[in-house]
Amino acid sequence: MSEALRSGLRLVRRALSRPAPAVSVAYLMYLMVLASAALLARPLELDPLEEDVARMLEGPSWEHPFGTDELGRDILARAIFGARTSLTTAAGAVLLAAAIGVPMGLVAGFFGGLRDAVLMRLVDLLLALPGIMLALALIAVLGRSQAAALVAVGLTGVPTFARVARAQVLSLRRREVVLAVKAFGASPGYTLVRTVLPNAWSPILAQMIVLSSVAILLEAALAFLGVGIPPPTPSWGEMLRTGKEYLYDSLTYAVLPGLVLTLTILAFDTIGRALSAVLEGRDAPAGRPAGAALWSASSSAACCSCSPSSSAPRR
Amino acid sequence: MLVRENATEEQIALVTPKFGLDRPVVVQYRDWLLRALGGDLGQSLHSREPVLKLIAERLPATLQLAVAATAIGIALGIPVAVASALAQGTWLDRLLSGWSALALGVPTFWVGILLILLFAVELGLLPAASAYVPFWEDTWQALRHTILPALTLGLYVSGISARFLRGSLVSELASDYVRTARSKGLTERVIVQRHVLRNAMLPFITVVGIALAGCIGGAVVTESVFTYPGLGRLVVQAIGTRDYPLVQGSILVILIIYVLINLVVDLLYVYIDPRIEYG
Repeated sequence: MSEALRSGLRLVRRALSRPAPAVSVAYLMYLMVLASAALLARPLELDPLEEDVARMLEGPSWEHPFGTDELGRDILARAIFGARTSLTTAAGAVLLAAAIGVPMGLVAGFFGGLRDAVLMRLVDLLLALPGIMLALALIAVLGRSQAAALVAVGLTGVPTFARVARAQVLSLRRREVVLAVKAFGASPGYTLVRTVLPNAWSPILAQMIVLSSVAILLEAALAFLGVGIPPPTPSWGEMLRTGKEYLYDSLTYAVLPGLVLTLTILAFDTIGRALSAVLEGRDAPAGRPAGAALWSASSSAACCSCSPSSSAPRR
Repeated sequence: MLVRENATEEQIALVTPKFGLDRPVVVQYRDWLLRALGGDLGQSLHSREPVLKLIAERLPATLQLAVAATAIGIALGIPVAVASALAQGTWLDRLLSGWSALALGVPTFWVGILLILLFAVELGLLPAASAYVPFWEDTWQALRHTILPALTLGLYVSGISARFLRGSLVSELASDYVRTARSKGLTERVIVQRHVLRNAMLPFITVVGIALAGCIGGAVVTESVFTYPGLGRLVVQAIGTRDYPLVQGSILVILIIYVLINLVVDLLYVYIDPRIEYG
């Protein structure tokens, strides 16, 4: 394993040693185990599709810890299966966003000039609408399906990756390792893939995790609006949508799946931000030299999701 | 739908050329675009009313909600940011930063549902479905209907404002002039009030603008939770009924507003901080 990869892993490990991220990781792993176990077997008679209309809209009980929905289905089972939907859609969306955004950013940053201008304008195009609106517009075109949700959410995430990747390239372009490789006659492709990328992957990974939380949120929001993955696939957003209809009948219907959704979003967010903080040397107690902040300036400029404008002002 | 579900072949054949639906999609889009540039956004397929009129009806509602939410968000975010920045590194800072993370991560529709549960279902104090009541018409009712959606959306805005302002304050507090002021003997309070806050507020103005823009276009979910008659909900309803002229028209309007506000914010930033220039 190359030195760049190893140092990156060291940072990851340091990020995960704090309590908040560690708890988040534990929670997520628990959730993933539950979700995949649900895939393999139907443990404990937790069937998300089994209807029992005689016992509809009940509150929490021994047989149904989360209660039942309007068709008598067990909400806990549906929540676990919903985890599967959310996690897979989010994973797919983030991978799509990275697959499109990172190459865009790398090319734009490395070559500069016209290619940079064109690619960044494309990114600006994606930023012209607020995320949920862009996703809605795409769904309006693509129709309602898991693939459509994945593409819609994925495209919303492309700008972030493009910017992070571009910032990384810009800061790494002048480093000795890149100059040396170029002096040996390396092609741009080789330089980008074999030299720049191994040094740039940590911020990109951090962004992937942070974006996962956004993707889960966005996917649930689309489902809540009624344009998500079609039924009967259980989905957290869908459960909140129906739960709201029955707010006066069952207090817990909407609340509990929402809680699971929130915890999952927060877990990803916590891990992602802990990773970013470590990468930028922000976790260091006051007084420690910023030597660990290898990528501080560039990544903090690009990673900030609240950067005021797309054309960064120069001070 | 323009014709009933089980329309005959002949009925469909009649309607199609009337609305130009038999031409290629690209041609239809070009025609729509040309007309839109002239201000004609067409008619809603569903209600036959002009799209522009439908949008204009919903716009004030969205604006009222956006302004209210941004105001609440800033009012909550500023104290959190100041306290957090001044108490950097302590438990208070971590607590408040955690709160910001929570405010940003919690889904707005869940917050909305919880608020409805508490205030409408349990306490019966506020309406579960919010109507648009202009502030100047009936202030008390407007307040009752707008407070819950504004709070829901405002929570998210407070998260963004707090996080941004805290970063801004922290970097200001670390600057040289603050060190000079301290060595001059000024109290921390004076330094913060008279110098740091003012300097940190400059970039914060841009965040306010962005938040406002975001609330206008991104309030879709909140509007849906409270069935508030805003622009966002119009888009969702239009998508549901496949009312493409309405979908295109309203997204176009939202886009224009969003881009315009961002542009104004960018220009404002250059104006108020003479050190900035665009290359």
